[in-house]
Amino acid sequence: MKKLLSILIILATFLTSCSGGDKNINKVQEYSTLYSGEVTTLNYLITSSENEFAAAANLVDGLVEHDNYGVVKPSLATDWSVSSDGLVWTFNLRKGVKWVTYEGKEYAEVEAQDFVDAMKYVLDSKNNSSTANIAYSVLKNAEKFYKGEITDFTQVGIKAKDKYVLEYTLEKPTPYFLSMLTYVCFFPVNGKFLAEVGDKFGTDNTNLLYSGAYILTTFEPQNTRIFEANPKYWDKDNVHIKKLTYTFNKEASTLSPELFLRGEITDALIPTASIDEWMKDPNKKDKVRPASTSFYTFFYAFNFNPKFDAQYEPDNWKAAVNNLSFRKSLFHALDRKAAMMTSEPYEPERRLSNTITPKNFVDFEGTDYVKLGELAKISGNDTFSPEKALEYKAKALEELSGKVKFPVQIPMPYNTGSSDWTNRAQVVEQQMEKLLGTDYINIIPLPYPATGFLNATRRAGNYAMMECNWGPDYADPETYTDPFTPDSNYNWPHLATGYAESNGKNKYENMVNAAKSELLDLKKRYTLFANAEAFLINEAFVIPYAIGGGGFIASYLDPFTAPYSPFGVSGYKFKGQIILNKPLNTEEYKKGFAEWEKKRSEALKAAEKK
Amino acid sequence: MLKYSLKRLGQSVITLFIVITIVFLLMRLMPEEGYFGQGYEKLDPIQRETILKNLGLRDPIYVQLGRFYRDLIRGNLGVSIVYRPRVPVAEILKAKIPYSLYFGLGAITLSLLAGISLGILMARSKGKFWDRIGTGYVVFINAVPAAVYYLFLQLYVTNILKLPILFKENNPVSWILPLVSMSLGSTASYAMWMRRYMVDELNKDYILLARAKGLSNKTIMVRHVFRNAFVPMAQYLPMSILLVIAGSIYIESLYSIPGMGGLLVDAIQRQDNPLVQALVLIYSSLSIAGLFIGDILMAIFDPRIKLENHGGAR
Amino acid sequence: MIKTKLDKMLNNIDESLFSFAEYDDSAAEKTGYSNYSYWQSTWQAFLKNRIAAFLLILMLLLVTFTIVQPYLPNQKSPIKIYTDEKTGIQLRNHPPDGEFWFGTNSIGQDLWSRIWSGTRTSLFIGVMVGVVEAFIGIFVGALWGYVRKLDRIITEIYNVFDNIPTTIVLVLLTYILRPSLSTLIFAMCATGWLKMARLIRNQIIIIRDREYNLASRCLGTPTGRIIIRNLLPYLVSIIMLKMALAIPEAIGSEVFLTYIGLGLPLDTPSLGNLINEGRVIMMVPSLRYQLIFPAAVLSVITISFYVMGNVFSDAADPKNHV
Repeated sequence: MKKLLSILIILATFLTSCSGGDKNINKVQEYSTLYSGEVTTLNYLITSSENEFAAAANLVDGLVEHDNYGVVKPSLATDWSVSSDGLVWTFNLRKGVKWVTYEGKEYAEVEAQDFVDAMKYVLDSKNNSSTANIAYSVLKNAEKFYKGEITDFTQVGIKAKDKYVLEYTLEKPTPYFLSMLTYVCFFPVNGKFLAEVGDKFGTDNTNLLYSGAYILTTFEPQNTRIFEANPKYWDKDNVHIKKLTYTFNKEASTLSPELFLRGEITDALIPTASIDEWMKDPNKKDKVRPASTSFYTFFYAFNFNPKFDAQYEPDNWKAAVNNLSFRKSLFHALDRKAAMMTSEPYEPERRLSNTITPKNFVDFEGTDYVKLGELAKISGNDTFSPEKALEYKAKALEELSGKVKFPVQIPMPYNTGSSDWTNRAQVVEQQMEKLLGTDYINIIPLPYPATGFLNATRRAGNYAMMECNWGPDYADPETYTDPFTPDSNYNWPHLATGYAESNGKNKYENMVNAAKSELLDLKKRYTLFANAEAFLINEAFVIPYAIGGGGFIASYLDPFTAPYSPFGVSGYKFKGQIILNKPLNTEEYKKGFAEWEKKRSEALKAAEKK
Repeated sequence: MLKYSLKRLGQSVITLFIVITIVFLLMRLMPEEGYFGQGYEKLDPIQRETILKNLGLRDPIYVQLGRFYRDLIRGNLGVSIVYRPRVPVAEILKAKIPYSLYFGLGAITLSLLAGISLGILMARSKGKFWDRIGTGYVVFINAVPAAVYYLFLQLYVTNILKLPILFKENNPVSWILPLVSMSLGSTASYAMWMRRYMVDELNKDYILLARAKGLSNKTIMVRHVFRNAFVPMAQYLPMSILLVIAGSIYIESLYSIPGMGGLLVDAIQRQDNPLVQALVLIYSSLSIAGLFIGDILMAIFDPRIKLENHGGAR
Repeated sequence: MIKTKLDKMLNNIDESLFSFAEYDDSAAEKTGYSNYSYWQSTWQAFLKNRIAAFLLILMLLLVTFTIVQPYLPNQKSPIKIYTDEKTGIQLRNHPPDGEFWFGTNSIGQDLWSRIWSGTRTSLFIGVMVGVVEAFIGIFVGALWGYVRKLDRIITEIYNVFDNIPTTIVLVLLTYILRPSLSTLIFAMCATGWLKMARLIRNQIIIIRDREYNLASRCLGTPTGRIIIRNLLPYLVSIIMLKMALAIPEAIGSEVFLTYIGLGLPLDTPSLGNLINEGRVIMMVPSLRYQLIFPAAVLSVITISFYVMGNVFSDAADPKNHV
């Protein structure tokens, strides 16, 4: 240990003496952290959990990737083209990219066939891939192959035209197909190696081939994993951090801040409970900054298909919820900031979202999706308004008198496994009842265990009002309409009365379907989706609440050098990232963020013109 | 003795069989959602069905049970399904057992040494300074929740003594604190037990006789007191030694020790059926074996004890 | 002559001076009188230990206080979230002051009332679990130890139950019954009575073949009567000790269950929940009180029952009565 330290010191002094460069950049580009969520498998073709995406993103490359502004860039493909009907995508592959083993030895070259082999593996239902549905939702004949309706893989829409040319054929035109390619199920695999290791593929670091920025040199689950920069990587000049060390600790959230202060790790999330202390201590305050948010969307849903226990009077709720004034009174009564204080006591506004689709998700020529169509009118407004809530309450009382028994019972389940959620349930209950009066509503928080939580609550229709969340599957606003389709199991808005149109379907469903069928004119498509979403919110079928991620972090990483993408695994990449001399504080972060947003909008515009 | 042992062995096999079957069935009562972890939401119904079918969870329960018995008889513990998909259970355990074993044995040795010495010290100065200090320690350890004082030790002691917070295999210094923390609890109980036994025993008539005979204090201690003290100990010690492989959930979680601590809880919560079954099988075998060895040892130490109980009521 | 004299004498006796002595039970018993009463002596022996007496009073006060605390003036609700009058923002991590005696937690709930509410919950769990365990444990243990026909079968059942991990039972129970106080008590009882039963069984085996029991059996006393009259009174001290220890044990295992995520829902204050919430902020000096207060209450309860249980079991042993 001492020896290593002295070598490091010598090395550091040596580096300081001879390199000028950027002052803020740390001399030792090595990252280490504590984690509690384990990578259970390295088999990127079957997993759908975030921890494993994060590992795969650094070990294997896909056809394309995102830069730090979210612009799609060539990766294993150098360029691509799409047929005029939008169905056939052709990719020219980068030549000379190597598969290497965990010892860094060359194994083979990455070829077009590798993508075909990987897809064949994903679509083979025997392999239990949990991302197969992403692939078979777009590729021609893929779903049939997965279900076993056809057995000839050559009929599936993926072909190796020659060693370096790959061709995808889609079921229908898909404007967002390019963004899907950064998803793990479109990653390549070496067919020969796969056949060699068979079932062992990805079970540990020796049974995996690497084509990405890092090689996993040590993989001991529940202990450590060490990533080292891949010396044979095609783009190694952009890999600045040479080594990533992950140490497992079940109590990571408790111990990380302390380890960070003692200088043993590069970053640490600060738990909500102790953020006050960090903010009060000037020395600590200078080291902590907001963490980046994610594209998970959180909203409170009103259930139009109530199946909860008879003691909570589901029919009474059903009558109430089908009244617009009643819904709107709840809609405006929820103090979202108060609710957010439970997980984000500092800067709660940063996490609040006035729309279901978060901003910065997609854009049309630099204009953000939430600024399009009708959505533009509501994306800037807070939904909380005590005056409006009381106004609608009076209206609802009048309209519903005699038809609905007040107070309306509102069972609201929450997951006891999440302490923030438990706290929030209490805050929301007390806040809304205080504002609207307990003679009007009676919110009943119902505790359910993490085991089988959603099946017992939301999916069973066992709630009146509930916090729900949804994450995007591809870079298109359509992905955020999925929870509200008739075959979904969120809140069944198609059962709301009073919205039926001539074809027997509800207005919202028709609006979404119209948007879905617009496949070529992107602006029109986005605007139609934005209008549908605005309708959903204006009619108070849901209360938009927040976006995921966030919290506060103490970190030496420069957050603005990280690849950025709302979907796929690019965001987990360490490629391009640098470690700073000093952690950013909140002001620096905010300044940097504003600058980044400006540059991003320019970069997106520039990319669009190309 | 041999006949008795064989009978016990037969009984144990039946017990194990029933235990493992019940556990097997209980795990099948868990919600299906649990097999998918976070990813459940994003899967479509066809996929869920396919995956459950491939895991064999769609077969009738007796088919699943039959398959499980067959594999077990062949010595195949199965393959993990959630905890580390497709990795053989035996391989997972092989990597983890040594850590818990070393720490567990270390802690038992340490607490036996420390506990017995403290107990003797306390008995000798009964009612005086060391007795008070020792009692204070015993009371403290029993009163404050382990979850609290473990964390307290970890954060403050490492800060004051400049020790590493986390365990690192190749850094022997980092072994000390977890080992010491782990032995604190059992040190207290050994000390208390030893003190009580010594006080009781030293007041007995045969000690007086031994003294009168002119035996030295040392001989009395070693020949009489200790030997008798070990009888009840002999019954429980084997079990606690065998079960150290279960690891300590608190200590291993806090110090990043990649052992078995909490593995069972983890496996149950993540519904990794094969892993749970294997663990239950191992732990049950060990505890049954521990009980058996304990009985045998007790009979060896104390000839008055008869294992085959012929007396009794109706 | 003599006869007449005698008759005369007899006739002259004043009968009013004599009366028949009635047979007096209590007077007859006086000869064998001793003012020994088992429970009274136990009680006296217990009170002789000053520390135990002090702890007993302390516990009585604590229990009384946790019960009456919500009805005292100026008490706050343990679940109400307090907000700033002006801004409407929750009073998070408010330091202890005149308004909030022990400060507030991370969402603005009053810690003082939460601690007492938590103590109430935890004590309730402890007592319920202790009583139920003792009841089932004694019943099963007595049958197990005394009736030889049942020995094999109960031993087998014990071995099986003892080897099924508690976690599985707990996870399944919370899944089926939803997390709540009654679920937790049920789960802890369902797994906890085994130890008690085993203890009783072992003790009964030791004394079941003593001469007086053999005699009872020969006289044809029914099994139930032998168990209740002959055996259990001998075990009072052990049972009391075990029950006294079961209470802090139940509270301790609630802390552990909370640690592995199987405890009570977080919105129900209990010592386990409070300690677990407090652990996270242990390194934060200004918030450490959130851990120290509940941990201190827990420690006091544990020590008290521990000491009282030991002293009482000594006191309940008739050998120590003279």
